[in-house]
Amino acid sequence: MRTRIFWAMLALLNINLCFAADLDPKLKQFESSRMDVIKKVAPSVVAVVTGGGSGVLISADGFALTNFHVVAGQSPALKCGLQDGILYDAVLVGLDKVGDVALIKLLPKEPNKPFPFAKLANSDKVQVGDFSIAMGNPFMLATDFSPTVTFGLVSGTHRYQYPEKGMFEYTDCIQIDTSINPGNSGGPLFNMNAELIGINGRGSFDKRSRINSGVGYAISINQIKNFMGHLRAGHFVDHASLGAVVASGFEESALGKVSVSGMIDSDASRRGIKIDDQLLYFAGRPMTSVNQFKNVLGLYPKGWRLPLTYKRELENGSSERKEILVRLMGSEKMEIGNPNGAPPVPVEPKPMPMPLPKGQVPPKAPGPKLPTGPAAKLYEAKPGYANYYFNKLEKEKLLNNFKKNGDFSSLSGNWQVQTTGKIGDKGRQAVVVLRILAKGAKDAKNDLVQGIFDGIDFSIEPLTVEQVGKAIKDPPGSGGLLVAFFQLRQLLAYGEKGFVGDFSHGGIEPYYSPSENALKPDLGYEVSTDREDDPCEIHFSDYKKDSSGRELPGKILVKYGDKEYASLKVDGWKLE
Amino acid sequence: MTFLLQASLFAALAASFQAGEMSLNDVVQKVNPKMVKIYGSGGFKGLPAYGTGVLVSPNGYVLTVANHLMETTDLRVHLYDGTRLPAKLVAMEPELDIALLKIGTDKSKIDDLPFYDIVAAAKAPLANPGTAVLAFSNQFQIASRDEPVSVMKGTIAAYARLFGRIGIFEAPYSGNVYVVDAITNNPGAAGGIITNRMGDIIGIIGKELRNEQTNTWINYAVPVNAELEVKLADGSTKKISITNLIEKKEAYKPVTKASKSTGGGGYLGIVYVPNVVDRTPPYIEYVEPGSPAQKAGLLPDDLIVYVDGLPVVSVNSLLELMQKYRPQERIQLEIRRGDKLQTISIQVEAPPKAVPSKGPETKGN
Repeated sequence: MRTRIFWAMLALLNINLCFAADLDPKLKQFESSRMDVIKKVAPSVVAVVTGGGSGVLISADGFALTNFHVVAGQSPALKCGLQDGILYDAVLVGLDKVGDVALIKLLPKEPNKPFPFAKLANSDKVQVGDFSIAMGNPFMLATDFSPTVTFGLVSGTHRYQYPEKGMFEYTDCIQIDTSINPGNSGGPLFNMNAELIGINGRGSFDKRSRINSGVGYAISINQIKNFMGHLRAGHFVDHASLGAVVASGFEESALGKVSVSGMIDSDASRRGIKIDDQLLYFAGRPMTSVNQFKNVLGLYPKGWRLPLTYKRELENGSSERKEILVRLMGSEKMEIGNPNGAPPVPVEPKPMPMPLPKGQVPPKAPGPKLPTGPAAKLYEAKPGYANYYFNKLEKEKLLNNFKKNGDFSSLSGNWQVQTTGKIGDKGRQAVVVLRILAKGAKDAKNDLVQGIFDGIDFSIEPLTVEQVGKAIKDPPGSGGLLVAFFQLRQLLAYGEKGFVGDFSHGGIEPYYSPSENALKPDLGYEVSTDREDDPCEIHFSDYKKDSSGRELPGKILVKYGDKEYASLKVDGWKLE
Repeated sequence: MTFLLQASLFAALAASFQAGEMSLNDVVQKVNPKMVKIYGSGGFKGLPAYGTGVLVSPNGYVLTVANHLMETTDLRVHLYDGTRLPAKLVAMEPELDIALLKIGTDKSKIDDLPFYDIVAAAKAPLANPGTAVLAFSNQFQIASRDEPVSVMKGTIAAYARLFGRIGIFEAPYSGNVYVVDAITNNPGAAGGIITNRMGDIIGIIGKELRNEQTNTWINYAVPVNAELEVKLADGSTKKISITNLIEKKEAYKPVTKASKSTGGGGYLGIVYVPNVVDRTPPYIEYVEPGSPAQKAGLLPDDLIVYVDGLPVVSVNSLLELMQKYRPQERIQLEIRRGDKLQTISIQVEAPPKAVPSKGPETKGN
């Protein structure tokens, strides 16, 4: 007996010796830095107990990412565990069904106590052959919420994985051989710099059921960044389509070529894209396959504008190349991609703690279950939103930021701006006066909006919901400058109270300044009076403070579609 | 002792991943242009219509596994840069389970493709267990056109003889293989390669096989220097190898083995219950729609007892027997349905033709 113990001890000793003596210094360094990475990021890893998945904290105030399919079907009030062994209350914030992303917020146990959180990487820099670390709670192994760690290779980047019944389209995703299993869904994928590169959520499984077979997919963190403004504002996010069907040819020897094969009425068609145009670049990426086209589409919310370069063969045998900015339309409206015209099939809910195999029926959106407990105070149901409470928060924040550049709330009377500049197609010189007369309408209750364009008058008596048609796009060619001027006054003077109907935070999208030599960064807004038409775009620059410290623009540029309607220099603002 | 061995193996693996001069990103970039995606026949009975291959000459010879993909005249290959070309089967070496393709047409001139010199690679010594490897393949058809194939990391776990089977058939190759811990046993991975840490080719990923003894899936690759001795009809032996196939561009014609047939002879259109033991009784699991079996009225759970008066005791013996028949022959089956015996007459047909694939879908909006 004694001998046996002695041998066992000797064997143990040998292992230690072996590690200590044989280890290459580079390996030793690699291993210790890997352990450092794990130590650093582990506190940010979330066990999403409700739903049986994983997640990761991305801000000190408790915002965390997980998969849509983890929280789908659950109450908006969630329970989440961290490495500290504590079970936290959490609330659903934003949802992206197509992208399979959910934003949740953990509630601290003491007010304002900061959470540990992961730093977001630039996932476009991830390369095939990079090492990666996946963390989470596979098979719900850890009852103390300490995450399981797996280590592997990035097997592919910019991968496209087809959606399942219109949901869970993994576009531009990161393919890994890092082992992910049921329960890993929604959990983080880290690079070796301890930065978050993606959210694990799907795999190819085939004959091994839903157990790792060396092919997992993570949603790139760069895609999620694009949707973050919408998610934070509590939206049920919509993905986008171009309004054009594209196809790649089958011709021998040829390199991939992506051409437009179908169009519907959309911003793309209004910007001049036609059938048979070849797409060269989309959002800066070369278009060599339909997969790459769909990868780009999946990265952006609807309504965003993206640069698109196309090539058109002309009748005289030459070809032209053009770059345009095209606005993405909502994906739910895009029906030409479905030749049968069949509506999307509603699916039955099915509780499922991930990753999703191909062909699995995905669950429904979170149901009408009402939250209880501390999370209930942070939840408000509203159609189209995952949690309208957070929309109100973001809206308040935005309006308050707005006020920093001047308080206009006492100015609900007459407004006038006198300008000179160029208007119309021919750019003729004109004096333009925009004016709001408080209670100036015939009924002496509503306001009257007037525009004098080189002596030609237009007026609208604003502004009832029923008002439709051409009048609200006056003056012709502007897309609705008078309405846009009125909306500006409503926003500045009244804020939310100046609007009827839904007034909500719409998320975040990039602003493309049309002016190259503005003295100050441009500020712009759009007013759309007709969903099937281009909006009226107003761009301000050359801001100056008035005597009350309010910032007012000295230059106004009005655009409609591809045309500049007016370029005006302000001679004076008169606000009462 | 086992612990000790594992500890040092792990150190070797990790060190080799770390100590190399080239970054893994660079190695992947070096290997990927030599890989091709193959699209051919398949898409039925769980057989994928896609696979992987590797360029072995600058003028477009491609090494891959000998599988069902080649059973079409419309074989296609996508190169690393997205070029799409037709391909022809040049030779198959069934004993090694390897095939050689030539891409391009007679007219097109191809002479500058990146490739692996297999003859040179075969001269390198065998890779030892513990060697870190990378696996490249178009598993699950994740990549198409100019998208690079998938790469995985792993370790050579063993160099050992292959005892594999595909369905109920013995695997054709039974020489030594590299067993790896990367999961290479995925649809479409066959014909891919494993390389060492520096991207030098070591082996060809084989078909999806189960271990004959344990019934578990095997992750393995046939070494590039694989060599076998086969018996000729006159009793003498001959050596065959992958390098021979590439150099001579023709296969040694092996002795036909009856058990190697994959459904020639009489086709019934029956899927039997999983054939787990030697004497699995031939119960019907599923009847293919439109098949002779369906036309004759056979049903799931029927047990086949006699074929033309000969008793059949197992799925194996039934399948063997069916090889003797030719399409259009009429046979008598005695079956047991419930507790009754019935006689059923059935006209066998030729196996259904494979549907060639044109590659992945290419439409989007």
